Amino acid sequence: MPARMSSRAPAGFCRSLPELGLLLLLVFVLLQGSVFPHGADASADTSHHGGDGCSSTHVKEINRTKKAFPVLSFEYEHIKTPFEVSIWVLFASLMKLGFHLVPRLSSIVPESCLLIVVGLLVGGLSKLIGDTELPKLDSKNFFLVLLPPIILDAGYFLPIRPFMENLGTILMFAVVGTLWNAFFIGSLLFAVCQIPAAGLTHLGLLSCLLFGSIISAVDPVAVLAVFEEIHINELLHILVFGESLLNDAVTVVLYHLFEEFSVFGPVTVLDGFLGVISFLVVALGGVLVGAIYGIVAAFTSRFTSHMRVIEPLFVFVYSYIAYLSAELFHLSGIMALIACGAVMRPYVEANISHKSHTTIKYFLKMWSSVSETLIFILLGVATVGGPHNWNWIFVTATVFLCLVARVMGVVGLTFIINKFRIVKLTTKDQFIVAYGGLRGAIAFSLGFLLEHEDEDMKHIFLTAIITVIFFTVFVQGMTIKPLVELLAVKKKQEAKRSINEEIHIQFLDHLLTGIEDICGHYGHHHWKDKLNRFNRKYVKKCLIAGERSKEPQLIAFYHKLEFKQAIQLVESGAGGKLSSALPSTVSIQNIQPKKPPPAPETRERVLPQLPKAREEEIRKILRSNLQRTRQRLRSYNRHTLVADPFEDGFSDLLKKQKMFELEKKIKEMNNYLSVPAATSDSPTLRRARLASDPQSYNVKPDADGVPTIQVELASPQSPDSVNIVNIVDEVKRDREKDEDMGLTMKPPSAPSKQGAEEDAKDQQKLMRCLSDPGPSADEGEDDPFLP
Amino acid sequence: MGSRASTLLREEEIEEIKKETGFSHSQITRLYSRFTSLDKGENGALSREDFQRIPELAINPLGDRIINAFFPDGEDQVNFRGFMRTLAHFRPVEDNEKNKNVSNTEPLNSRTNKLHFAFQLYDLDRDDKISRDELLQVLRMMVGVNISDEQLGSIADRTIQEADANGDGCISFTEFMKVLEKVDVEQKMSIRFLH
Repeated sequence: MPARMSSRAPAGFCRSLPELGLLLLLVFVLLQGSVFPHGADASADTSHHGGDGCSSTHVKEINRTKKAFPVLSFEYEHIKTPFEVSIWVLFASLMKLGFHLVPRLSSIVPESCLLIVVGLLVGGLSKLIGDTELPKLDSKNFFLVLLPPIILDAGYFLPIRPFMENLGTILMFAVVGTLWNAFFIGSLLFAVCQIPAAGLTHLGLLSCLLFGSIISAVDPVAVLAVFEEIHINELLHILVFGESLLNDAVTVVLYHLFEEFSVFGPVTVLDGFLGVISFLVVALGGVLVGAIYGIVAAFTSRFTSHMRVIEPLFVFVYSYIAYLSAELFHLSGIMALIACGAVMRPYVEANISHKSHTTIKYFLKMWSSVSETLIFILLGVATVGGPHNWNWIFVTATVFLCLVARVMGVVGLTFIINKFRIVKLTTKDQFIVAYGGLRGAIAFSLGFLLEHEDEDMKHIFLTAIITVIFFTVFVQGMTIKPLVELLAVKKKQEAKRSINEEIHIQFLDHLLTGIEDICGHYGHHHWKDKLNRFNRKYVKKCLIAGERSKEPQLIAFYHKLEFKQAIQLVESGAGGKLSSALPSTVSIQNIQPKKPPPAPETRERVLPQLPKAREEEIRKILRSNLQRTRQRLRSYNRHTLVADPFEDGFSDLLKKQKMFELEKKIKEMNNYLSVPAATSDSPTLRRARLASDPQSYNVKPDADGVPTIQVELASPQSPDSVNIVNIVDEVKRDREKDEDMGLTMKPPSAPSKQGAEEDAKDQQKLMRCLSDPGPSADEGEDDPFLP
Repeated sequence: MGSRASTLLREEEIEEIKKETGFSHSQITRLYSRFTSLDKGENGALSREDFQRIPELAINPLGDRIINAFFPDGEDQVNFRGFMRTLAHFRPVEDNEKNKNVSNTEPLNSRTNKLHFAFQLYDLDRDDKISRDELLQVLRMMVGVNISDEQLGSIADRTIQEADANGDGCISFTEFMKVLEKVDVEQKMSIRFLH
């Protein structure tokens, strides 16, 4: 076995020890997987015999002498299934690791090909050993266990905007394209089967059409696996990928239709009509089921603020139940899953914590990755294992017809579609779309599910399906990357959206909606605007908890940006290099840069120089944050998960800073304090102050210990950072105002805010009560906000 | 009445508009009927009130600015030519137009002209720069009343900081174009029906 493995790898591979270790591990796992079942067979036999002759041995046992008590026994049967599943999953993951250790292999050959090859090897190996206990790519396992994670991952992270903008095109390709493929391939295959030399005359028209419907659908798993590695531009990606997702409805309907008809004889017009209705029901029903579950999930997530640990669970379970419910009624499970993920995402993300978001993302990626790997490996195994019936004419005809049908379908449809598109699809685009029509495991599983056909026909079909899959995955999968390079197709743009783009795109949306209204044309923008308005007015209020429901999209985007940056800042570590790493508007403190920003560095963003005292302050914050990180690693009781200090520490940080500033301000005897418009801050302020340790808001410059930040459990909601930043900014502005005029005591200069004076006085009183009247020399040392 | 006759569109006018804006015959007639339906005063020109009568425009955050963009500087009436000239910016870009561009001037619906139109909606004082205040005004209109000035101010600062290449604290037209270079403006600023 090692010999075979290393012959696959280039020379010099085994020179490094860790890789050698990985190889040995792999071998060990394989042996485990193959030896134990054998041992199990042996022991199963004996235990079986034991069970059989139970009654007879029972008598004998009384006479037998007492055996020694078994210190160590071997019983494989009762852990068999979980053990085997785990071994397979482990094996798949180790293979994935292995591919990336081999330097050049993963750039030439797409992973899916390698995995199929591995599956072939494993299948061949176990056939040699004589082990017939290989797991089959069981249709039930496939559709219920292996497929949903991949589809959920795709649906949850579906880029909604490009999808909706190209929905017409995608639907055309998915529905009309698949129908065309199915009928073209089916009928021409039937014609081929009529040739006496083929020996296939027993295949009726309906059987051929059934086969055509199975083989015609573009497979999302294969498309994902291949397209992910070639990084083409968003438009093409969403076209092919969207098509592969949406054609599930067509496939389901056609499959069931032809299966019914092939049993029950001739087709009437009524049946055709019912077929069309059935298609609409399947597609729209699936979407409806998914949307309903999505909304319920979003609504549930509104209440999870006290139990953050199980938030990801709701996302997964609701989606899975949506899938199963759709499958229950023979509706399109894939469309239900996509609809569920896409509908729940904006609301769930507004409600859940940052960590849950990360958890969901990584779990989905992990499951979908493992699923995909397993699917391809099992495909390889099934190829070796499954009964085959190779018929040259049928197989070659199938492959050829698939290609031809795809090309004709794409070209024909694009011709029609381009009449309605603003941005036309060029020939290059058409080529990629046609070439990206990969078939995969769904076709295989559907073939497996065929019951009504006789065995011979089924084997012919399966062989042909496997051949087509192999052809598309190997030939097309391997060559698409060089072709993309050759044709210079536009690649994906890697950079994330900047705030500029966000603002301007929203601006353009409003502009276009206005122009459409002037023209009196109820177009794309008009309906989108209406939907947004409805969303904002009613839906968001129901489904999003608390303050976030009123947050405009722009502000939410900005917050996310700032939050990400703050995290990056802390993760990149404190130290002297802060001045080059800080953008000018970290929302903790909002300072107008006093000097014009220097010339741009290698980064895109132009970053201003920070005054020295600011740096000190920032270093303090970072130091305290980093020390808190170490604290986080303490183990905790999962039932009373304290709200993570860092996670809610952002708001904490803001509150801390604000309190600190306020105290400073009051201590310096500036009597006025312009309180912002929203008065809900005062209770927050008071609550915060009462709850937290009064000592914590005097950050001494040479603090050697960790500032004890008590996390308030009283305010588990997402940080009211808007209002808090509000106060901070106002304080800052006032502070700067009086810096310019020197430190004098001034009468209140905001006449319109007289009413707030009382509030301010109250706060001052409270502060004085609570604050540590200790050494006031500290105040003078801390000079964070003076420029 | 006499005014009725004068509001009918003459063939020469249609030809002129066609040459200037690139719209087709049918589109011009269609938009003309829309123009006349908006023109309640029946004087062959639209005033600001005519535009404001459109209900959806009233709730559009940029409604006033869009209306203003139709009226050339200082005037209160816009005739059909002006109406079409403004709408021409939103015509989808044809692929073959790039080849048959006979005249030297760029067509009204080129990418640069589209972006220039959008730029002018930001830049009210026409100094070819989007200042911080102008940006703040637009942000305020888009975001609503619940957000504080400081929050908007920090967003505006960050926006300018990202876009400003020459450090003058304002966004010039070239900087504006550069920021949007990744965005598919030809698609985003085109209305399909004007195809």
